Amino acid sequence: MEVTRAPDSRKRVREKLFIVDTDVHHGFESWSDLYPYLPQVYAERLREHGGSGPSSQYWHNGGMRGRRADFLNADDLLESTRRQLLDDCEIDIAVLTGSSAYGACGIPDADFGSAICRAFNDYTLEHWVARDERFRVAMAINTQDPLGMAKEIDRIGSHPAVIAIIMPGGATKPYGNRVYDPIYEACERNRLAVMIHFNGEGVGINGPPTAAGWPSHYVEGRMMRAPVYMAHMASFIFEGAFEKFPGLRVVNVEAGFAWMPWYVWRMDSDWKSLRYQAPWVKRPPSEYVKEHVRVNTQPIDEPENERDLEQIIEWMHGDQTLLFGSDFPHFDFDDPRKTLTRLPDRLRRRIFGESALETFPKLQPPG
Amino acid sequence: MGRHVICRADELQPGAVRIIEAEKRSIGIFNIRGDFYALRNTCPHKGAPLCRGIITGLAVSDEPLQLRITRDGEIVRCPWHGWEFDILSGRSVYNPHRMRVKTYDVAVEPMAEEDPSVETYPVQVEEDYIVLYI
Repeated sequence: MEVTRAPDSRKRVREKLFIVDTDVHHGFESWSDLYPYLPQVYAERLREHGGSGPSSQYWHNGGMRGRRADFLNADDLLESTRRQLLDDCEIDIAVLTGSSAYGACGIPDADFGSAICRAFNDYTLEHWVARDERFRVAMAINTQDPLGMAKEIDRIGSHPAVIAIIMPGGATKPYGNRVYDPIYEACERNRLAVMIHFNGEGVGINGPPTAAGWPSHYVEGRMMRAPVYMAHMASFIFEGAFEKFPGLRVVNVEAGFAWMPWYVWRMDSDWKSLRYQAPWVKRPPSEYVKEHVRVNTQPIDEPENERDLEQIIEWMHGDQTLLFGSDFPHFDFDDPRKTLTRLPDRLRRRIFGESALETFPKLQPPG
Repeated sequence: MGRHVICRADELQPGAVRIIEAEKRSIGIFNIRGDFYALRNTCPHKGAPLCRGIITGLAVSDEPLQLRITRDGEIVRCPWHGWEFDILSGRSVYNPHRMRVKTYDVAVEPMAEEDPSVETYPVQVEEDYIVLYI
């Protein structure tokens, strides 16, 4: 008698998840790496005086100088990223979000800051993008020089790997302000998204990190990320930036996401009360958020009961608004194999890849 | 469903509101440039006395950061949370199709009144009165 074995239905073969990692930190190891890309006057300034970009690094940070202590090779960030992140975690597309040039936005000499951003962008294209086709770039922007940076966006924004600009959370004015219009016009022309990454708060010419003053410890500083993004988000909406720039997409990186539902509800309530002060805001803020604003997953929020995450994600329309980010190589890295594993596959596909394809106008799936 | 004579028309001046009680309801009667309108004096949001809010215009914008006021005096802004309602239609500004406050018909009707100051001969004077229909 012949026995036909039914395929084992308990054994679910999971399709390889298409993963876009929206927060991979790259950089240069020494300021001298940038000399070849800088006008002589600035290369000499760095050589004579040393790297002097203001930074938040007066804090202790975590891990080993902020990075995972098990980081493969501290002398070769690029190779470690390719092996330890892209290969091991099966990342299809990694958006390089820098970090080395965030401080340029806080340098009082705006021209020097812009020169550093331009040099870092060229360095990135040559030393990172050219060495692995999985890399995409969020190009560095000096937020205090909108006209200069509009030219910079037009200079390299059409490079196929450049899919976004990135601006630090610290600023002199929140990002919906009209002073930034030339940057957003250039982003629309070049089909780039706008990413905001926590950094630069309270350093250089930027405002203090909180309205309550300077925190003493790194862990306190981490707690103020979401409020910084809230300030920028309210600014984008109530300054009418999304009315002016219908193609504008804003991605808030590395502040978690569980704060989003409450904040969006709050904005809707207050818009009903105070709409008359900003009547160019034609729709409830939640509708602008759904269309224009994204947040990434990292550092992953951990409610007492992990199952509650699904409820939070539903409240924030996370099937559209939430994008995966690992924050490699930092110590609070989220491994995609261990992140949001309880969610239904349909939702995981959205968060880990599909929504990113819809957010970044130039992003195409590989192959 | 009742007819309620409120006051002489010239006792409620343009731009003013008078809040009255009728059939156990609190109702605001507005004079907007000589036309009369009535709204339930209860905000559908949290029950505030809506008609005691600021009477204002409608802030509109033709392009971002440009603001102008239209329909001056035709909007009431609730005293508690600032929700705006169109006094003419009762519709909210933020969501006119789904959020609104009850309106009532108001008429101005001439009525005869005996003049008590004339003792010898009965005299009738015709005056305009505001009449509310619930």
